[in-house]
Amino acid sequence: MSASAESRAAGKPVGAPLPVVTQAAVPFIEIETLRAKEFVPAAKEALSAMIAERGRGELTQPVFNWAGRNSLFPLHWGLACCAIEFAAAFGARWDAERFGVVPRSSPRQCDLMIVNGTVTWKVAHKLITLYEQMPEPKWVIAMGNCATGGGPFRTAYSVVPGVDKLVPVDLYIAGCPPRPEAMLDGILKLEELIRERKE
Amino acid sequence: MEAEFSAQVSARLGDRVAGIESFPGTLGRVRFRADAALDVFRSMRDDLAFDHLSMVGGIDWVDHREAFYVLWSDARRAYVILSADLPAQNPHIESATSIWPSANWHERETWELVDIHFDHHPDLRHLLMPDGYAFHPLLRSFKLHEPEELEVKTRNV
Amino acid sequence: MSEMWINMGPQHPMTHGLWNLRVHIDGEMVLDVDPEMGYLHRGIEKISEDRHYNEVVTLMDRCCYVAGLAWEHLYILSAEQALAIRPPERAEWIRMMSEEFQRLGSHIMWYAAFVQDIGLMSPFLYGMRDRDLILDLFQSYTGARMTYEYMRVGGVRNDLPNGFTDRARKVCDWLIDRFVEYDRLCLGSDIFHKRCDGLGTMSEKDCVAYGVTGPMLRSAGSRRDLRKDRPYSAYDRVEFDVATADGADVTARYLVRMEEMRQSVRIIRQALDWLDRHPGPVMAARVPRWLGAPYAPIGNEGYLLKRNYPKGLGLSAIEEPHGEAQAYTVNDGGEHPYRVKFRSPVFANISAAKKYLVGYRVADIPPIMGSVDVCVGECDR
Repeated sequence: MSASAESRAAGKPVGAPLPVVTQAAVPFIEIETLRAKEFVPAAKEALSAMIAERGRGELTQPVFNWAGRNSLFPLHWGLACCAIEFAAAFGARWDAERFGVVPRSSPRQCDLMIVNGTVTWKVAHKLITLYEQMPEPKWVIAMGNCATGGGPFRTAYSVVPGVDKLVPVDLYIAGCPPRPEAMLDGILKLEELIRERKE
Repeated sequence: MEAEFSAQVSARLGDRVAGIESFPGTLGRVRFRADAALDVFRSMRDDLAFDHLSMVGGIDWVDHREAFYVLWSDARRAYVILSADLPAQNPHIESATSIWPSANWHERETWELVDIHFDHHPDLRHLLMPDGYAFHPLLRSFKLHEPEELEVKTRNV
Repeated sequence: MSEMWINMGPQHPMTHGLWNLRVHIDGEMVLDVDPEMGYLHRGIEKISEDRHYNEVVTLMDRCCYVAGLAWEHLYILSAEQALAIRPPERAEWIRMMSEEFQRLGSHIMWYAAFVQDIGLMSPFLYGMRDRDLILDLFQSYTGARMTYEYMRVGGVRNDLPNGFTDRARKVCDWLIDRFVEYDRLCLGSDIFHKRCDGLGTMSEKDCVAYGVTGPMLRSAGSRRDLRKDRPYSAYDRVEFDVATADGADVTARYLVRMEEMRQSVRIIRQALDWLDRHPGPVMAARVPRWLGAPYAPIGNEGYLLKRNYPKGLGLSAIEEPHGEAQAYTVNDGGEHPYRVKFRSPVFANISAAKKYLVGYRVADIPPIMGSVDVCVGECDR
């Protein structure tokens, strides 16, 4: 039982003491603390003092990276065959949501684009539009051989030989199509990349 | 059954049919004259009960083109293939859309890929390729390349 | 001002693939629709002209990615007719069993995607769980989950592994119980009936005129099923019923697909019994060398075979999970097919979209298009 829950159970007023703000490293923040009126200005003050002391990049970047890599929201769309394995990864057997990966239908809510299939020239400009609509920071995974280099259709007149001709790609997953395990492995590899990221 | 069918076709269509070949698994392959296409289609649907058009396609034989139609009859429980030879220069044939509405998209696709023009088609525009695509990819003169080859070619241009 | 065109797609949760439904609306009413296809046109027919006969099978798996084995079967039947090769009987039964398992897999995938569209979340998890059992079976004898490359001109690549039939029977027993659960989840839900009953109707006459086939046609009361009307492989040697329903609406299509899955299990059980009793070869003996091993360098012998091979045409038609698919193969005596033309049932079903979408509301489009069971890969090819 946490401190605030104890005080609530005892009928004490919640929020008066703010131990979290005065400490430098805060692993968990209680909801009641966030609701307190004094929290936001006090936290701001404490944070800006720390930033001034330790430098901006060193402190905030790891926090952003930690938050970003644990809640990757991929764009919910299916290009071709790999989309079926993409869907299977969210099924009961692999359950990709335990890694914080939740597909969203609007590109404005996403930070990860998994290109799961063959990209044709007809859809190329729509793919670029979707990529541009995603807010920064954003990542792209080329899933499968078609998105990587055209795959079995690389000679076709209508197929883009690799999605890296259109948007910058952070990670390639091999396979035709990759198994759901391979897709999950790719997402974990991307999380490692994000952990290393520096502005 | 095939013999009976070819007798029926000859009786109805006469010289509009150039020949009937046997084709295993179907009632036969009826080769008809392209300028009598609409008569043949109407007769097939109304007199011979082929009420379902399954597929329209085209083949580029370099010296000429061929348009083929696969029909199904619920009453006969059988397929028949219609085929018409078209000249290589300006190949065109009457659209079957007024007889079978299902011909609409198949003919759009055939025009786009094999460059066979369908006269009096209600909506003959690009279906699979983007608007304004200038080539007809399923012609034999259209060659495929590895992407690296294409890159080299465009760089040299 | 109240009338306008909106785009549903290419990136839209309703589409289940890459295509664009342009909708002309007045408020919430749909006045006109114009499906825009081709976003996944990969030129499979053109690439096939540069491939050996057996290499085209690779493309067929990717052509329809939820029913790969059914499309392999379709292509192989037409290629065998064009090349005048007959497969051994055991290969025919294995193909038929594979197609029926593929029908189960495709319909379960449809169930998972479609019911999620109308707002029920748990059927997706149930469906994906059961589909994986079927994919595991495929993996045990083809080596892959989705892209199998299993069938060959003149037979199939390899025989079933030991103990396969027992495993398959267990999966059948499990699935036949799950269908009761599926029905309880959907037909027992008020949401399902309120969103599906009476939507997207299309009469049998319209279906025939517009080329609509498969479960959509059978939901309008027709009894047309190529497995009965024009039996291929070993379908004339098994017993099953054609699934039909009345009403031609979304619920009727659901009922038809559910009944089809039960009939598929029935066919599979007969096929497994037959396969247990009849061991034998799975590849025809007299297949030209350049067909059996397309990657081997073609020496004198292969060259002679190639030159002497007779020309031929092949037309095959199968009852694919989505409807009637056809393949037309032209063999001009060369080592590559001269022309392969495919007829996709989804292509024809979407082309009739005006008939079953106009007059309903925008919110009715996802259940109706979901009941069509769109697979864009085979539609655009």
